[in-house]
Amino acid sequence: MNARAFTTDVVFGVVPIALVVAIWQALVSFGYAPVTLLPPPGLVFDRLAQQLMTGTFQQEIAATLFRLFAGFAIAVVLGVTIGLAAAASPAVNAVVRPLVRVLAPLPKVALYPALLLLLGFGHESKITLVAADALFPILLSTFYGASMVEQKLIWSAMAAGTPRREILFKVVLPAAMPSILTGCRIGLVISCIVVFLAEMITSTDGLGHLLVTAARTFQAVDMFVPLITISLLGLILNGALEALRAFLLRGFPEV
Amino acid sequence: MISARAVLARATPVLACLGLLAVWQATSLVLNNDSFPTAIEAIRAIPLILGDKEALINILASLRRMAIGFGVAVAMSIPLGLMMGRSRTVASFFNPLLMVIYPVPKAALMPIIMLWLGVGDIAKTLVIFLGVSLPVIYHSFAGAKAVEEKMLWSGAAMGLSAAQRMTRIVLPAALPEILTGCRTGLVLALITMITSEMIARQSGAGNILFNALDMGQYDTVFAMIIIVGAMGIGLDALFEKMRARLVKWSEPQFDIPVSFS
Repeated sequence: MNARAFTTDVVFGVVPIALVVAIWQALVSFGYAPVTLLPPPGLVFDRLAQQLMTGTFQQEIAATLFRLFAGFAIAVVLGVTIGLAAAASPAVNAVVRPLVRVLAPLPKVALYPALLLLLGFGHESKITLVAADALFPILLSTFYGASMVEQKLIWSAMAAGTPRREILFKVVLPAAMPSILTGCRIGLVISCIVVFLAEMITSTDGLGHLLVTAARTFQAVDMFVPLITISLLGLILNGALEALRAFLLRGFPEV
Repeated sequence: MISARAVLARATPVLACLGLLAVWQATSLVLNNDSFPTAIEAIRAIPLILGDKEALINILASLRRMAIGFGVAVAMSIPLGLMMGRSRTVASFFNPLLMVIYPVPKAALMPIIMLWLGVGDIAKTLVIFLGVSLPVIYHSFAGAKAVEEKMLWSGAAMGLSAAQRMTRIVLPAALPEILTGCRTGLVLALITMITSEMIARQSGAGNILFNALDMGQYDTVFAMIIIVGAMGIGLDALFEKMRARLVKWSEPQFDIPVSFS
């Protein structure tokens, strides 16, 4: 893509976002929506900046991030392990495949009440829910990535005398990396969303809880702030993982 | 005659379900916890829920909202996605906006939308609509983008107008990808529906779950989980059957939807 086309793209891309903000502002300015229901964008972002400076708000973010990363980490470890095992061994595949077929389309949120009963109202139930939701995209993309590895690569490694056990880590895992990282990106955004929703359903802290408390007291501004915060977190984490992916895959052809 | 292997391949999901239920039964027997009923107790409670008129009306109302939200989202997202796939201008116009919306938890908009539109059907349907739209747009976009230029040139040379090329060449060519998006969207519709009902606590299947939890009717909680889970698995299987019929020529890359909320 040449530089000029790129600039046009950027300009074009900014227009609809600016338009949304403008309509938002106009709705309030021209009195179609009362400020109590739809606070103007300036007010919301002011409040966001102000809140980000306060210690209590930072603690809420920390609580959310802790659950988010704990759940995501479990999902990555389990997803990559099971995915690789299923791709490497037909026996494991025969067991995992039908289980995944049944569990993947199951709405995991529905399990949340059961998790609450079994694990209590603390961190554990939320972390488990996040892990359960993020697991499947990671598992599936690991599985597909690992089963798409070119047979020639494996044969070459075997011909060069690599033991079977090491082939998995030296050939299959690196070759499946692009697909695994794509799965992780999907899983990370899902984790962000799920942790927020779980906190909205039952919690005593975290960003989701902030939104619910604001909703109970009809503080529209405070409802927007946590929602925007979690979305920004999602965008930032997504961008960070993208950068990590670009760094890890610098030798790979464009995927 | 169908080979034994094919029969086995068909039966595996059923076996997986039975296996999961067996593990559940064993765990609950071992834990012997009041708040964790056995699988058999939970299954016994299912007819009680489905026999209860009010619960049934609630669940059916949820499903109706889900169907409307899903239908409207699909009807609007496919044309948008196809246009984005065929025109660079349209794509660069909408892409950044969609990218910004992507990490927003849609079901979390429920309290805000309820503030504007009240607690009625419109708010709930709108949230489902928002949840379904993005994956359908993205898959239609990807599908339309991958259409071979040569086919379009041939179409143009044969005198098809732009609109005709869209419906007669791009749409069928992108159909497998579009249906993959719809499948993800369908699972998402169910997830968004349940989540938003859990958050709003007004009516519907998600509300029954948490009411039972609050009242300590644990077998009802677990029975509802089975019902909702069965809905997810059933809808997905049904859609997969339809997909296989519509696009016989194409094998899906992922035969399991990568779902997210």
